[in-house]
Amino acid sequence: MSIEIRNISKRFGNFVALDNINLDIPTGELVALLGPSGCGKTTLLRIIAGMETADQGDILFSGAEATHLHARDRNVGFVFQHYALFRHMTVFENVAFGLRVKPRKERPSDAEIKRRVMELLGLVQLDWLADRYPSQLSGGQRQRIALARALAVEPKVLLLDEPFGALDTKVRKELRRWLRRLHDDMHISSVFVTHDQEEALEVADRVVVMNHGKIEQIGSPDEVYSSPASPFVYQFLGNVNVFHSRVHYGYAEVERHDAAVKGTAFVRPHDIDIHLGALEGGLPASVQHIHPIGPLVRVELAHHDELIEVELSRERHESLQLSVGQQVWFRARQMKVFGADAMPRSPTQEKQAFLF
Amino acid sequence: MSANKLTRATQEPVWVRYGLMTIGLGFLFFFLGLPLVAVFVEALAQGLPLYLEALAEPETRSAIWLTIVIALAVLPFNILFGVAAAWAIAKFDFKGKSLLITLIDLPFAVSPVVAGLIFILLFGSQGTFGPWLAAHDVKIIFAVPGMILATLFITFPFIARELIPLMQAQGKDEEEAAVSLGASGWQMFWRVTLPNIKWGLLYGVILANARAMGEFGAVSVVSGHIRGETNTLPLHVEILYNEYNAIGAFAAASILALLALVTLVAKTIVEWRMKKETEMLNTVLAPEKT
Repeated sequence: MSIEIRNISKRFGNFVALDNINLDIPTGELVALLGPSGCGKTTLLRIIAGMETADQGDILFSGAEATHLHARDRNVGFVFQHYALFRHMTVFENVAFGLRVKPRKERPSDAEIKRRVMELLGLVQLDWLADRYPSQLSGGQRQRIALARALAVEPKVLLLDEPFGALDTKVRKELRRWLRRLHDDMHISSVFVTHDQEEALEVADRVVVMNHGKIEQIGSPDEVYSSPASPFVYQFLGNVNVFHSRVHYGYAEVERHDAAVKGTAFVRPHDIDIHLGALEGGLPASVQHIHPIGPLVRVELAHHDELIEVELSRERHESLQLSVGQQVWFRARQMKVFGADAMPRSPTQEKQAFLF
Repeated sequence: MSANKLTRATQEPVWVRYGLMTIGLGFLFFFLGLPLVAVFVEALAQGLPLYLEALAEPETRSAIWLTIVIALAVLPFNILFGVAAAWAIAKFDFKGKSLLITLIDLPFAVSPVVAGLIFILLFGSQGTFGPWLAAHDVKIIFAVPGMILATLFITFPFIARELIPLMQAQGKDEEEAAVSLGASGWQMFWRVTLPNIKWGLLYGVILANARAMGEFGAVSVVSGHIRGETNTLPLHVEILYNEYNAIGAFAAASILALLALVTLVAKTIVEWRMKKETEMLNTVLAPEKT
């Protein structure tokens, strides 16, 4: 089932949660809504599920008007951040719930319910937990049961609100690969909300980057990462990559050769080369800190009073043999320049002019 | 061994420990234990046969019966109102919410005698609806309906007060999950909401019941003290005592004391269950097994 979102806006008091959102989600796609907390991504998901009503705009399911359809009639599976399992029911009864509350005419027989539930529990590989209560399960197990419960009613759309947010890193990685496989097997449309850019880039077919109730960019994971449409996307997609570095860009005021336009250049730390000798088009700097982090080595350079972060591979670092205080040259292999107007709140206006 | 000479960092001196314990237990004994024992000793002072005879008095029997009738009449309304109010307050945001919370607490703030007088002013022969009620031959004041109304007013905060924090803590995720799985409003209530609050509800019912059976002030104002007709146990105890019928008064009082003991035990059991359930909710997650 495809989902169309037309001009959706939502306010909570004076706070604008969603500002005229337009989005198409084609059948079978796995879409990530990515953004910092408070950007409106969860509100949008809840509006699609029918748990929140938009102030204006329309939701269409498969081209048919669904804006005023009650949540129970939308046939969407919703997975909550904190699982929301029914705590007084066993795992089996949790998964069976959606089948047991069907109107008598549509309700399957007990034997059929048992078969379907055990099949779903097999799918999430937890059939041996059928008689347990949610409180006796680990976080990862609870989340898989929540998924099985949502899938029991054979939804056309699966909506997941920060599905792995409350889990530790290892379980999270496992579960998101598993979710990707599950999505491909079930042939449904899925939308999941996350603030973790790595999660979005790894799992989704398409990433919708949101900020302040607006969509900043829609694109494939590769598109949003390599050609960010705005400074926000550039910064957000680098910022929280805990496996590389916290601040993921060097940036500076630039003067372009072709025009005297002032802009801001964004360079990812791994797109900077360091050389020991003078470099054409490069700039001199001194090494401030060297932090080896797993497979990478992060080097902080100082160019006048400007700090530049560089990420080198272990091999490159071995061959350079850098030491603190050393004078080196650096140059960006790749960068993205945004006009000055794209950075309205630039912290310092007059910066050292780099000539890359 | 020198072990008993060692003092632990967390332990107070002996005189502080025993002093505090003596004060605490002494207070309990004088103000709770002794009166309770006194009630039963006085009631049984002339032997068990006379005690049973006092309880078998038609007027006492009718007072016991009326007390039960009033409690049974009041509790369903309390449950309905308590659950509905707690539901609305805990799960929804609306204008006038804080006003509603204040109103729920009103019966706690108002003296029971004033509560009784309110009903006299409304339904008494000189009251707002008095003439109309007289014309239609409906008796509320100095009759059972008035006593039920007064008891209802006094007891209605108990269940709501118990449920509001519980329901707020539980949030509305489970209800939303139920709806997204296709449950209707009733199915959601009976299958998800009610099972989650059942112990809290029972706790509220026990407290409301104890108050309904023990209420004196408000009921006294609207009852009219017609023996065998509008006398509940607490009112009957007073009447008997004023007539110097010690055995009768204490026998009737012993029933109320017994009720208090049963309430205490029931309350303890329910509290223990509720604690177990919250512990279950907060269990530390076991490590991932697969």
